[in-house]
Amino acid sequence: MKVQNLPGTTRRAFTLTALGASAAIALAACGGGSTESAESEAPAGGETSATLTMWTDAERAPALKDIAAQFKEDQGIEVDLVIKDFAAVRDDFITQAPTGKGPDVLVAPHDWLGTLVQNGVIAPVQLGDKADDFTEASVQAMTYEGQVYGVPYAVENIALIRNTELVGEAHETFDDVVAAGEASGAEFPFLVGLDPKQADPYHTYPLQTSFGAPVFEQAEDGSYDVSQLAMNNDGGKEFAQFLADNGDQGTKVFNSNVTGDIAKEKFLAGEGAYFLTGPWNVPAIEEAGIDFAIDPLPTAGGEAAQPFIGVNGFLVSSYSENELAANEFVVNYLSTEAAQDALFDQGGRPPALISSFEKAASDPVIEAFGEIGTSGVPMPAAPEMQAVWADWGATELNLIKGNESDPAAAWEEMSKNIEAKFNG
Amino acid sequence: MNGESTSTRGAVAPAAGPKGTGRGGRRLPTNPDGMIGIVAKILLLGFVDAIAAFALFQLAINGEWLVFAVSLIVTIGINWIYLRRGGLPAKYLAPGILFLLLFQVFAMVFSTYIAFTNYGDGHNSSKEDAIDSIQLSALERVPDSPQYAATVLDDGGELALLVTDPDGNVSVGTAEEPLEPVESAQLDSTGKAVGLDGYTTLAFGDILARQGEVADLVVPISDNLDDGTLQTQDGSTAYVFKPRLVYDEAADTFTDVSSGKVYTDSGEGTFQAEDGSTLGVGWKINVGFDNFVRAFTDQNLRGPLLSVILWTFAFAGISVAATFALGIFLAIAFNRADLKGKRIYRILMILPYAFPAFLSGLVWSGLMNAEFGFINNAILGGAYIPWLTDPVLSKISVLIVNIWLGYPYMFLVCTGALQSLPEDVEEAARIDGAGAWTIFRVIKLPLLLVSLAPLLISSFAFNFNNFNVIYMLTGGGPRFDDTNLDIGATDILITMVYKVAFGGAGRDYGLASALAIIIFIVVGVISAISFRKTKALEEIN
Amino acid sequence: MSTSQTSTRTPVEHIPQVKMSFGRWFKEKGWRHVVAIAATLFSIFPLVYVLSAALNPTGTMAGTTSLFTNVGLQNFVDLFSDPDRPFGKWLINTLVIGLTASAGTVFLGACAAYAFSRMRFAGRRFSLLALLLLQMFPQLLAVVALFLLLNYLGDIIPAIGLGTSLGLIMVYLGGALGVNTYLMYGFFNTVPQSLDESARIDGASHMQVFFRIILPLVTPILAVVGLLAFIGISSDFVIASVVLTDPDTQTLAVGLYSYVAQQRSENWGVFAAGAVLAAVPVMALFLYLQRYITSGLTSGSVKG
Repeated sequence: MKVQNLPGTTRRAFTLTALGASAAIALAACGGGSTESAESEAPAGGETSATLTMWTDAERAPALKDIAAQFKEDQGIEVDLVIKDFAAVRDDFITQAPTGKGPDVLVAPHDWLGTLVQNGVIAPVQLGDKADDFTEASVQAMTYEGQVYGVPYAVENIALIRNTELVGEAHETFDDVVAAGEASGAEFPFLVGLDPKQADPYHTYPLQTSFGAPVFEQAEDGSYDVSQLAMNNDGGKEFAQFLADNGDQGTKVFNSNVTGDIAKEKFLAGEGAYFLTGPWNVPAIEEAGIDFAIDPLPTAGGEAAQPFIGVNGFLVSSYSENELAANEFVVNYLSTEAAQDALFDQGGRPPALISSFEKAASDPVIEAFGEIGTSGVPMPAAPEMQAVWADWGATELNLIKGNESDPAAAWEEMSKNIEAKFNG
Repeated sequence: MNGESTSTRGAVAPAAGPKGTGRGGRRLPTNPDGMIGIVAKILLLGFVDAIAAFALFQLAINGEWLVFAVSLIVTIGINWIYLRRGGLPAKYLAPGILFLLLFQVFAMVFSTYIAFTNYGDGHNSSKEDAIDSIQLSALERVPDSPQYAATVLDDGGELALLVTDPDGNVSVGTAEEPLEPVESAQLDSTGKAVGLDGYTTLAFGDILARQGEVADLVVPISDNLDDGTLQTQDGSTAYVFKPRLVYDEAADTFTDVSSGKVYTDSGEGTFQAEDGSTLGVGWKINVGFDNFVRAFTDQNLRGPLLSVILWTFAFAGISVAATFALGIFLAIAFNRADLKGKRIYRILMILPYAFPAFLSGLVWSGLMNAEFGFINNAILGGAYIPWLTDPVLSKISVLIVNIWLGYPYMFLVCTGALQSLPEDVEEAARIDGAGAWTIFRVIKLPLLLVSLAPLLISSFAFNFNNFNVIYMLTGGGPRFDDTNLDIGATDILITMVYKVAFGGAGRDYGLASALAIIIFIVVGVISAISFRKTKALEEIN
Repeated sequence: MSTSQTSTRTPVEHIPQVKMSFGRWFKEKGWRHVVAIAATLFSIFPLVYVLSAALNPTGTMAGTTSLFTNVGLQNFVDLFSDPDRPFGKWLINTLVIGLTASAGTVFLGACAAYAFSRMRFAGRRFSLLALLLLQMFPQLLAVVALFLLLNYLGDIIPAIGLGTSLGLIMVYLGGALGVNTYLMYGFFNTVPQSLDESARIDGASHMQVFFRIILPLVTPILAVVGLLAFIGISSDFVIASVVLTDPDTQTLAVGLYSYVAQQRSENWGVFAAGAVLAAVPVMALFLYLQRYITSGLTSGSVKG
């Protein structure tokens, strides 16, 4: 297409440039002015108070909002809460912290510690004498490679929830539990939600430990030796056999088709006698009007059934330029009884601070979960766990589905694969 | 399927462009456009120039001269494009291309650059950052050492730490002067020393104002540095610290204080000891073609690669063909003015496209549950069909869901494209006695393909990398039996890349990018060839 | 205009309609209804589960058991009563960002398509191919790149930095020249060039040709592209969640996701309720645009 060459073009172009340029100068002048004023404000603001940025997810935001307001009143430090999607927090933090745009403080579950430390994005905190105020397991969970990286505030673990209308009293062993469930006439004697893609080693872990097959060996101080698997032992193989026996082709106590949501629905409908789950499902159970009791985890292999404990805590960024304010907030403020009480009131998760927990334990549900938690072990936080979960889950799924003719061999194979990934 | 890049739901869409100043470039062409055109042009160009000038001003202040130069060239280029007489195509293309370069091409360049680095977990920042953070986490509190109550003092600009040990003994020290006992400190009601003659006590606000300084304050406990140092992290409590690792700046090595092990820069972005052990935190370095070499030599990728490649092509090809066939069939079926209720049909049919894909994925995986799912229970009367766990059926299921997700898009596009068909041609054919199928095959389809062929190719490319539908429905499973990898029957190349690069101990972005670029080259070449073959670039006019 | 379709279908179909036999009716139109109902059912039935979950206060999303066992509006009440998750604001943000960015996408795409369709210039074929290939580049690291870029841009021009809607809109505009351009390019090619040539002879500028002749003729595809862009933008989660972090500025997709982001404490009920409501603007836009989409090309200026 050809553009017509018109006589007026040049003059028009000139006018245009002139107008454009003058507009540009005007805007630049305004813009420049505003920047200068912004710059001159910044240091002045910094002298009187600091502003902390904290990442949290929507669940925890309401409780933190009040605490942040109180902190501002007490110490004059503003805490700017940024609500991120829980699932995105870890990866975004790792990418953004080195740019200086990350937060000063964040809320995280302890099993992220391995990856966060590996990326050098969080700084150790010193709890000092305060460490004794927290439950031992929660501080242990916040410890990675000998350093404490966060102030714990909530502890979570699973328990066995029993529909008391169907089963009148608690039972200690898995066999008794299942027998009682079956005797109750419930459609599902024992419910546990499994991910159809990779089962759920987290939920089945207490049963596994009852065979004496912990995933890693634990040292005296509670730290894990992740250099080699411990579950590759005879107990582990027995557990593999146990899964196969009770899987889809066996008693169907573990049903690979029962997802977390299906298990929840069935239990809420009163069709399940037992439900192996965590405190997150308790509000819905209460709401559905089910009479329930919280039983200790049953042993299947004869040894103690130890659940995994998940601890949520507050971490400080190693890239924070407000390290003092951040430590003041995290170590000195969020560790107080008042703060932990408030977090419990809003979030309903069992507090990690002993004195707060004792208050919260006036609720029998919290007390029961807490009691069971004392026998638990922190989920390993090493970055290698990602590989462990994938293989572990896939193998358990195969066992449950009855796809493995030789469960012990499948377990052995899994252990070899995982160890190969550690070394590779 | 949703082939367009911004609007692929859930898919990672466009991204970033290089520095430069974003500017909302709009343009209107020169020519005898009347007053409105000229005024609009003046205003828009002036606006763009104003923003550009502002950005240039800021860049100059910040000393970003390289970006300044690029931005200046771009700004001049824009003015040149719109003020000169010729070059009409550029006037229409410039704004779109500007955004494209800024946000899409930058992401490409960035990904390519990452493919040549070891960026990923454990290597996410610079060496300085890594050294800082190793030092930070190696600084350990001396076991069983006392916890001191601390007050920060100012001594003529220099900071000092006034500490009270648990027994009530008060000492003071600075970075230069090791801790020394003092007698005359002012105590508060708890017995904590809060002031000392000759020093100014810093209030909390003052400490905050100088928090960097306070945090960096290291007070030796005695003349012997091995006894440890006092530091405070909050300005009110101090602990005795000793480093587990000491960094020697001159030699660029870390030494383990207790074992004497020396860690040196291994050249691979980590500090490594002679026995091969490394310090956890590494840094990002350029690794040349290492990632590409790994991509071709990694044993893990060997085994199931062929079946994954075949399935990837099958998945993408069938998805495009099926959604297009269904979309065009429905579009034609409803393209009749006198069809009652067609508005309702249309709106219900595009509903799947309006819901979040992962929600739909979740629903579908529930529907396809072998024991409790609606499909087996209600439609098939209680059959036990393992839709998602059988190697063959799971492939079919993934395709069904992908077709469900994608056909509304094709339906919409075809409905729009159908409007461009000249009806008189069809009319003439009909009068000549051609049947509906013949009219479609001989007249409509070729005409439609002129405008839709590029779309089909790009839809193929989109499905080639359709991570989401696989991931949310089957996660790639069921696993292959003959591999020890987490790879299964429904894994396509991109989900395999994800598992290989992110499934081990941390995410390896470098390897992931390299693998993704290799896939891009493969699919790009295929697309470029088919693009030429369809002569989609030729006009019908 | 809108009658052109019916009129070209010749009166033959209209007159016997009154006494059309069932066989004839089925052959002409009946099968279309059968197909339509089948297709609609295929489209709708999974979504019925979403609706059921939205009305079910227990918050599960199993998609398996019987539907509508437990019906209540609690999820919708929850959705609107959480001050930390301002659903109303999300809705407005989505509309503002979605409509602005999709209008921009249509405009930028149409300009480019016009250039590609009507002008011949060096590098044209290459540009078309490059646009296509660009779509195929795996965007694995796009989010990281985007974060770094907006972080940098924000330091220079705060108005388009991280956390701003404007920045997000610009990112979306980065994708304007893509498949959308192709779609429009193909459609533009079907408009006979003789039309703009005769207009040029009448003294119209290329701009007038573009705005007054071409654009009105291609409204169906503009409407389709606009709708697709709006759906895409309003359902984008990945980019929006990195750019927008303040709940008051978030879009629906990002905000709603927070209800299900945490494993094991997902609230599918509220999420489903939000998803149902979020589909309403899309439906409304489609209803509004539908008459343009099917308005027919061979109207107005072509005939005239």
